[in-house]
Amino acid sequence: MNEPLVLQSKLDLPAADPLATALKERLGTDVTVDAGAVASIGALGLQVLISAAASLKATGHRMTIINASDRLIEQMSQMGFTPESIAEGTS
Amino acid sequence: MSLNILAVDDSRTMRDMIRLALVPVGFTVHLADDGLHGLEVLDGLEPDVIITDINMPRMDGFGFIDAVRDQDDHRATPILVLTTESSAELKMRARNAGATGWIVKPFDPAKLVKALQMVAG
Amino acid sequence: MSDANDPMAEIRASFFIECEELMEAMQDGLTTLDEGDDDPETINVVFRAVHSIKGGAGAFGLEALVRFAHRYETALDDVRSNKFTPDADAMRLFFSCADHLSDLIRVCRDDDAIPDDRSAELLAQLDTLLGGAAEEEEEVSADDFEPMGVSISLDLDGLGDLPPLDFDVDDAAPMDETPCYHIRFKPEQEMFETGNEPQMLLRNLAALGEATIECDLRDLPPLEALAAETSYLSWDITLIADVDEAEIREIFEFVDGLCELSVRRAGSDTDAPAVTAPIETSSDGFADLPEPPATVPDDPDVPVAAAPAPVAAALAPSAPSAAPAPEEKTARKPAPAKAAGAAANGPKSVVRVDLERIERLVNLVGELVINQAMLSQSLEQAGLSPHSDAMNGLEEFQRLTRDIQDSVMMIRAQPVKSLFQRMSRIVRESSAGVGKNVRLVTVGEGTEVDKTVIERLADPLTHMIRNAVDHGLESTEDRRAAGKSAEGIVTLSAAHRSGRVIIEVSDDGAGINRKRVLEIATNKGLVPADASLTDSDIDNLLFAPGFSTASEVSDLSGRGVGMDVVKTAIQSLGGRITITSEAGKGTKFSISLPLTLAVLDGMVVNVADETLVVPLNVVVETLSLGAADVEMLRPGKYIVRVRGEFVPLFDLGVELGYREARDSYVGAIVLLIAYEDGARAALIIDGIQDQRQVVIKGLDDSFFRAPGIAAATILGDGQIALILDPADIIAEASGASRTEALSA
Repeated sequence: MNEPLVLQSKLDLPAADPLATALKERLGTDVTVDAGAVASIGALGLQVLISAAASLKATGHRMTIINASDRLIEQMSQMGFTPESIAEGTS
Repeated sequence: MSLNILAVDDSRTMRDMIRLALVPVGFTVHLADDGLHGLEVLDGLEPDVIITDINMPRMDGFGFIDAVRDQDDHRATPILVLTTESSAELKMRARNAGATGWIVKPFDPAKLVKALQMVAG
Repeated sequence: MSDANDPMAEIRASFFIECEELMEAMQDGLTTLDEGDDDPETINVVFRAVHSIKGGAGAFGLEALVRFAHRYETALDDVRSNKFTPDADAMRLFFSCADHLSDLIRVCRDDDAIPDDRSAELLAQLDTLLGGAAEEEEEVSADDFEPMGVSISLDLDGLGDLPPLDFDVDDAAPMDETPCYHIRFKPEQEMFETGNEPQMLLRNLAALGEATIECDLRDLPPLEALAAETSYLSWDITLIADVDEAEIREIFEFVDGLCELSVRRAGSDTDAPAVTAPIETSSDGFADLPEPPATVPDDPDVPVAAAPAPVAAALAPSAPSAAPAPEEKTARKPAPAKAAGAAANGPKSVVRVDLERIERLVNLVGELVINQAMLSQSLEQAGLSPHSDAMNGLEEFQRLTRDIQDSVMMIRAQPVKSLFQRMSRIVRESSAGVGKNVRLVTVGEGTEVDKTVIERLADPLTHMIRNAVDHGLESTEDRRAAGKSAEGIVTLSAAHRSGRVIIEVSDDGAGINRKRVLEIATNKGLVPADASLTDSDIDNLLFAPGFSTASEVSDLSGRGVGMDVVKTAIQSLGGRITITSEAGKGTKFSISLPLTLAVLDGMVVNVADETLVVPLNVVVETLSLGAADVEMLRPGKYIVRVRGEFVPLFDLGVELGYREARDSYVGAIVLLIAYEDGARAALIIDGIQDQRQVVIKGLDDSFFRAPGIAAATILGDGQIALILDPADIIAEASGASRTEALSA
């Protein structure tokens, strides 16, 4: 299994593109995303994760989100998601 | 939650007001006298929200916002413009420069705190 | 002034100090502008000053100030944006507005009655001048400038094409159940570029009540096709909350125009108007979504209403003047860059200090000087060699004491600029009052003078300036007839000259009408009808008590106050005032003042067993009289020849009533005294003790004010010595004979 992808603390506009690039490199494998350092997630960060998860799922791979803090989970839920639903690539 | 704020205003009174409004509720407040000074203070700082006046010597608020948005780290940092004007034109100019929103002076402390919390943590 | 423990009062006080600085910058800017300067930064400075005053005033709910400043600012903004180019009349109005603004600041500070009439008058003039931006004024004042007003105003008409809210929706809805809203929200690309974050908006929305949030992923492409900074998501929110629609829209205020938004109240048949193109309500958009939408309940942690209560209390314990911690963090930033910036362009670094503390310091230094003098004296009496270590050390001690004293005095020193600016207002107002065209020229604004002196100069100077405009300058017609420019000039200057401050008020008018002055003085019995007076004597009659008469008192310089009051005020500051006038060319008043009120370089002399102090700056030299030097003018009146010049001679002991006149003045010691106006006199004394700095202890009201005595001091041995005012002695003693002798 691959090394977990460690997310940055802020998943906002400047972070979205690097995150997408990092995930594109991992397409075709199972991806573990370590959200332990994430303090905030915005809509752009969120959509990268969901898109990646959906793409992985379409090719028979899966995304796992680990170490999500309560605060992060709360932010996800405010946008209509849970870590699990994101990992499924659905809302 | 506690926020880290950078406030840029050339009026000492206004800076005092901001400090007085925010420090007691646990915010950390960094102050600067004008746009150029604001950029100096911003260097190395990761404010949750930036507050800036528009009319300032040396570098005005629009120039300051422009310069902040030019920094990759701060492309999404919320910037509230502190203004006594409520004209649509001014708001549009601020927005075009990349401002997140505006606070119309005079503000009372609770309103300022609320405005900051609306755009950040 | 204020309770030191009340931070608001502290800031308020600090605001008014800032206002003074801003007014000064503004006056400067207006003056520069008036001189035809077209540097855009000049008008910017003026504009910013008004703007900052308005901003601060708003924070303290000083509505009258805010309203006036706002309209004034708008006018200046028109100048700034080249919509309006001010002519001479406009500049006059701008100056008047600045003056009024200054008045408003003062009445607001002192909680005095607001001169609303004057505000209205000036605002009307501004409207006339600039073609009235009246509607804008109405809207802005109603919207923004309620005291401690709304910070985030619901600015529905602010950004263009939002139609008015349909309030009928609310009215139609049944009131007994909590309203339910359907909100559709789709951020656009630009929203992210302004630092707005959908997550925050959704959170704020959820905080209003119970929200069910569903994200619409229809547009989201697979990762390979995803442009990371393009927005693909949209949301449908069901919100059950006891709020009206306006409150929901308020959350989206900043992103109005940066997103698609529709707000629809459930149970109403019609959709509420959408901000932009309404999106079709999709009932099928989420059919393929397996999981139920996440529900966000009312979250008490979402900090919508942070407690403002502890604001005052929490700040209270910190000393108001102490630098607050957050600023210290700021200061940690690269210091060199910041310092360079400040040096290049920024304001000087300034600490504000309570005046009382400085007064205390001044007093302590005064005590130090006295103590040092006492110490000197006892060491001398102890018979120490002048070359001993102790005496050398004492010398150094004296030097340091003097340096400390100078430095302390510098703290109290201020440029006369603010005073001069006040005078420019006096000129504007008084010239308008008498219909003359007058320009004030100021010279030496940067000259520093003791703060107290500056404050106490304001009234006398005001009076003198009014006099110059009112009486000094001719009417415009007379000026033209005399071949002068129609514009009269009043010059106000300040300079340091030999340890004193010289302030001069001059006009380029017709000069003193000596015939008329003499006539008045004679009629009033101030001089005998047959008196023969020199021009200078006549000029000085203006200072005579009771000279000023009702008949010549105009409503300007008037109120029955004459130049004698001015003279008294100047004298109480340890100063002197002189007058010179030239027919057809103008009149000049010169005020000579000590640099500070607290210390004086004096010569300690003996007269008839009394110890007296003569201010050193009037003593030109000391002489020992020879038989050939003295000539009797008439019995009791002597003159002394000094290098070919005749100088009137006065015996101090006689003039002060300490003793009888001497039989012979041969061998007597005299002090040669000289004044700013060139007049000289010789004073006979009995002996000279030494020269030293003395601390002036005022004689004000507690002491009798004897003629010729300016103040008192305490000498090193603890003895009290009187400080002489030689000019006063001479005037008292000799009257007209002095000038007779001089012109002999």
